[in-house]
Amino acid sequence: METLQYTIRKLIYSIPLLFGVTLIAFTLMVYFGPDLTDSILGKNPTAEQIADVRSELGYDAPFFVRYFMFLKEVVTFDFGSSMSSGEDVRSILARTVPVSFAVALPAFILSNLLGVGLALLAAYHRGGFWDKFVMVFAVVGMSVSYLMIVIAFQIIFSTSYGLNWFPVQGWIDPPPDYPDATFFEIAYYYWYNYWLYVTVPTLASIFVALGYNTRFFRAVIVEELNRDYVRTARAYGIGNGTIMLKHVLKNALIPIATRIIISLPFVIIAGNLLLEKFFGIPGVGLVTYDAITNGDLPVVKAVVTSTAILYVFALILTDIAYKVIDPRITYSK
Amino acid sequence: MPSQLNRLTVAGALLGLLCFGLTACKKPFADRDQKNPVYRHSSNGAPVSIDPASASTLYENEMVTTVYDQLFEYRYLARPYELKPRLAASLPEASADGLTYTIRLKKGIRFADDPCFPDGKGREVVAADFIYSIKRVFDPKNLPQGEWVWRGKIKGLDEWKAAGSDYAQPVEGLKALDDHTIQITLNAPFPQLTYTLAMGYSSVVPREAVEYYGKEFALNPVGSGPYKLDSFSTRRAVFVRNENYREEYFDLEQEGYDPATQAWTGVEELQGKRLPIMDRVEYYFMQESMTRWNSLNKGNEIHFGGIPVELTHMVADQLKPLKLKPEYAEKFTGMNQPDFGFVYLPINMADPRIGHHPDPEQDRKNLLLRKAIRSAFDWDQRNERFYNNIGIIFPGIIPPGLDAHDPDLPRHYVTADYEQGRRYLEEGGWTAETLPELTYGGVASVQNMQLFEQFRGWMEKIGYPREKIVLKTYATFGDYNRAVRNKELTFVSGGWGLDYPDSENVLQLFYGPNKSPGSNASNYDNPEYNALFQKTKPMQPGPERTKLYRRMNEIILEDVPTIAGLTRNSTAIWHKNVIILPSRNPHGSLLKYIYLKPKTEEADD
Repeated sequence: METLQYTIRKLIYSIPLLFGVTLIAFTLMVYFGPDLTDSILGKNPTAEQIADVRSELGYDAPFFVRYFMFLKEVVTFDFGSSMSSGEDVRSILARTVPVSFAVALPAFILSNLLGVGLALLAAYHRGGFWDKFVMVFAVVGMSVSYLMIVIAFQIIFSTSYGLNWFPVQGWIDPPPDYPDATFFEIAYYYWYNYWLYVTVPTLASIFVALGYNTRFFRAVIVEELNRDYVRTARAYGIGNGTIMLKHVLKNALIPIATRIIISLPFVIIAGNLLLEKFFGIPGVGLVTYDAITNGDLPVVKAVVTSTAILYVFALILTDIAYKVIDPRITYSK
Repeated sequence: MPSQLNRLTVAGALLGLLCFGLTACKKPFADRDQKNPVYRHSSNGAPVSIDPASASTLYENEMVTTVYDQLFEYRYLARPYELKPRLAASLPEASADGLTYTIRLKKGIRFADDPCFPDGKGREVVAADFIYSIKRVFDPKNLPQGEWVWRGKIKGLDEWKAAGSDYAQPVEGLKALDDHTIQITLNAPFPQLTYTLAMGYSSVVPREAVEYYGKEFALNPVGSGPYKLDSFSTRRAVFVRNENYREEYFDLEQEGYDPATQAWTGVEELQGKRLPIMDRVEYYFMQESMTRWNSLNKGNEIHFGGIPVELTHMVADQLKPLKLKPEYAEKFTGMNQPDFGFVYLPINMADPRIGHHPDPEQDRKNLLLRKAIRSAFDWDQRNERFYNNIGIIFPGIIPPGLDAHDPDLPRHYVTADYEQGRRYLEEGGWTAETLPELTYGGVASVQNMQLFEQFRGWMEKIGYPREKIVLKTYATFGDYNRAVRNKELTFVSGGWGLDYPDSENVLQLFYGPNKSPGSNASNYDNPEYNALFQKTKPMQPGPERTKLYRRMNEIILEDVPTIAGLTRNSTAIWHKNVIILPSRNPHGSLLKYIYLKPKTEEADD
C-alpha cells in the first residue's frame, strides 16, 4: 500500500518535471535544432517559396503557440506525421522501437549478468590473477573505440575475410509464403533469423558494455567486502560462496539496480545508431539520427518526449526496486 | 595458473561452439522449393520520400522512377544521352513557334493494382493524370521540390498556384485534349521541356492514391512503372513486378547499343527479354562503405555495390580504366561510373571584398585576387587525394558529355601555378595585411575539414596568411544551405547534379536573377552574361546556340566567379552473373533492365 501511494505521489510530482523537460527540449529544438526549410527547398527557390515552406511547416507561428501545440501532442501522444516522409510518427515508433529493443535486449541482459559475475570474481580475488585479468579486459573494452569494435566484429564473424558465420547486414524478413507452413516452422524461422542477425551486434555491444559494467560493479562489491558484517560472517564460518552471493551481492544490489534501471530507457527507445548503421538494422536509432539531421521535428519531439517519460518511470521504478531489495527502506512523505 | 588458462580455453571454446551451433542449425524452410532468384541492388544513400513532387535526391529519384512512369525516358545504352517515349506514344510534336507541345499517350497503360482503386484494380492512365501530377508540384501543401523546373514556363501554372492551388480550377497551359492527348502551352519557348518530362517530378500519379493514403502517400506509391513497392524501411526497399505492366521487350537497337564499347557488359543477352526482367528486386541503402563492400564480397548478399576508397588498391590493380586484381576479377565486373554533374567552388560575388565592386579600381584588384586563388587551386592534387585520381578535370563549367563542352579550352585554368598566383596578387597590390579574411563553408565532416585544409595549404603557397582563411561548418546540410542563401560565405563548397543533358542546366547557375536564394550560389550578376542567357533560352540545340553557350563559359573563365571544375567518378562493381550497365542521372532507375543469371549458388539463396 505504501509503495502504491508512493508511486502515485511520484507520478503526480513528475508532471511539473515533465513540463519542465518538454519546455527545455522544445526550446532547444526550436532555437538550436535544424531547420527543415532549407533541406526541402528545391534547387532554385524563390523568397516566396521559402515563405510558403516555412508556413507549411508551421515555423512562422509564435513560440508559445507552437509550444502549446507540442504539449497537446505530448498529452495525446499524437505527434502527427514525419515532415520528410509523411508517415505517422506513432507508426514509425511502433515499427522501429521493437526492432531496436530486440537488438539491445540480449546485450543488455548478458552484459549486466556477466558484469555482475565478473565483478564478483574480480572482487573476490582482489589483487590476484583473475582480478587483474578481468580488469585488463574491462579497460580494453572501455578503451577501444566502439566504432572499431563494431567493424572488427563484423569482419571477424560476418565476412569472407573472417569466419563468415553470420550475415554482414540485414534484419528478419517476413517468412516465405508457404500455405502449408506449420506454426513451428514459422516460429523456428523467426527464432533462427533473430539470432542470426542479432548475435554479432550483441557480441559487439557486450564487449563494450561489459568493461564499464564490470568496473562499476566491482567497485561497489569491493566496498561491501570491506564491511564489518562480511568479517563477522567469515568468523561464523559461513562459506565464501554464500557470503558473496547471499550477503555481499544482496547489499550491493541497490547501486547495481539503480545503474541497470536508469539505463533501461536507452535500451527501450534510444536505439543504437552505430549498430543500426553498420548492420543495416531498421531501428529507431537510425530514424532519430536522420530526423535530427533532416530537421524532422515531429520525430525528434516524439523520441525526446518518450525518453523523458521513460526516465521518469525509470526513476520511480528505481525507488520501488529499493524497497523490494531492502524492505527496511521507508518512503518519506 | 595452468588450470586458470584451461578455464579460459574452455570459456573461449564454449563461445565458439555457441556461434558455430547457431550457424550449423538447419536453415528454416531449407527443404522447400526456393522461389525465383532475387536481385539485390545497393546504393550509398537512403531515400526518405517516394512522392514524386518532393523526391529530390538521387536515391529518391531512383525509387520514383522505378514505380512511376514519366512521359519520356533515356535510352538505356545510348551515349550521349537520348530520349525515347515511355508513357508517351512518340516524341512530342512542337508548334512552329515552340510554344505548344502535343503529346500522345500510349493506350491501355494501367496503374498497378492497389486498394486505392475500386475493387483494387488499377485503372487506365489518362491525360488528366498527368495534369493532376504537374499541379501537385505547384501545391505548397505537398512541400514540393520540383516547382523550379516549370516555374514561369507553363502558361497559367504560377497563377494557379497564386490563386490557392485549387485542383478544380484549370491551368491554361495544361490541357487534356482527350484521354490520350496532352497539350502543353508555354509562356515562352523552352527547348528543355521534353527533358523535364523525363524527370521524376513529372511522374504520373493517380489522384485516388493521393487521396486514399493522404500524408502517407509518400511511402505508398502507386504508379504504372515496372515495379510495385512491396515494403520500405530505412535500410531497404523491396520491389515486386507490377503485374499490370505493359508488354515491353528489350531491344538493343532501340536502346542505342554500341558493341564496340558495351559488349563487355553482356547486355546482348537481354535481347528480346520482357521487361522488367527480374520478378523481385531488393534495394539496400548502405551508407557505410565498408558494410556495403563486406556484404558484396560475401557472395550471397547484395549483388551490386562499390569499392571503399580505403580498399581501392587492395581490390584493383588500376583504376583508369578499372582493372580488378585477379582474385576479385574472378567474382566481379566493374567500371568507373561518371557522375552526371561536377564539383566546383563558387565565390560569393556579392561580397565587395572579393566580388564585383562599384569602384573600377577595386573591381580590378578583386578580379586579380580571384585569379590568384584560381591559380593556387590544384585540381590534380584534389583529384588524387580525394577522388582516387579518376575524376575528370575540365576548365569552366560545362562538363564533358554536354553539347557545349569545349575540349580545346586552355588547361592553365585548371592547373596550379603558385608563381602566377603570387604575380596576380602583386599586380593587384595585395599584401598580407590588405588581403581580406575569407570564409570557406561546408557541412561538418572529416572530409570537408580535409578539403578545407588542402585549400588553405594552397593559399599559403601564394602568400595568403593562414589565419585569413577561415572554415565555417554547419551541423546539417539544411543549415549550410541557409548560410549560402543568406550569402554568409565567401567560398561555397559545392556540387551540381545535372537534371538533364543540356548546358543550360549549368549555365543557369550563374544567371543573375537566379542569385541567392536561388541556385546561383556565386550571386554572379553580369549583364553581358545575363543577356546571352536570355538570348539562348528559347534557342533549339544547334551550332549557333553552342557558340553562345561557349562564350558564356568563357565569360565565367575570365571573370572567375567560381573555380571549376571536376566531374567525379565512382567505382561500381557487381557480381559476374549480373548483367547491367550502371548509370546514375539522368537515367533514374535502371532496375527493369537488370538481369541476374540464374546459374549460381547465390541465385538460389
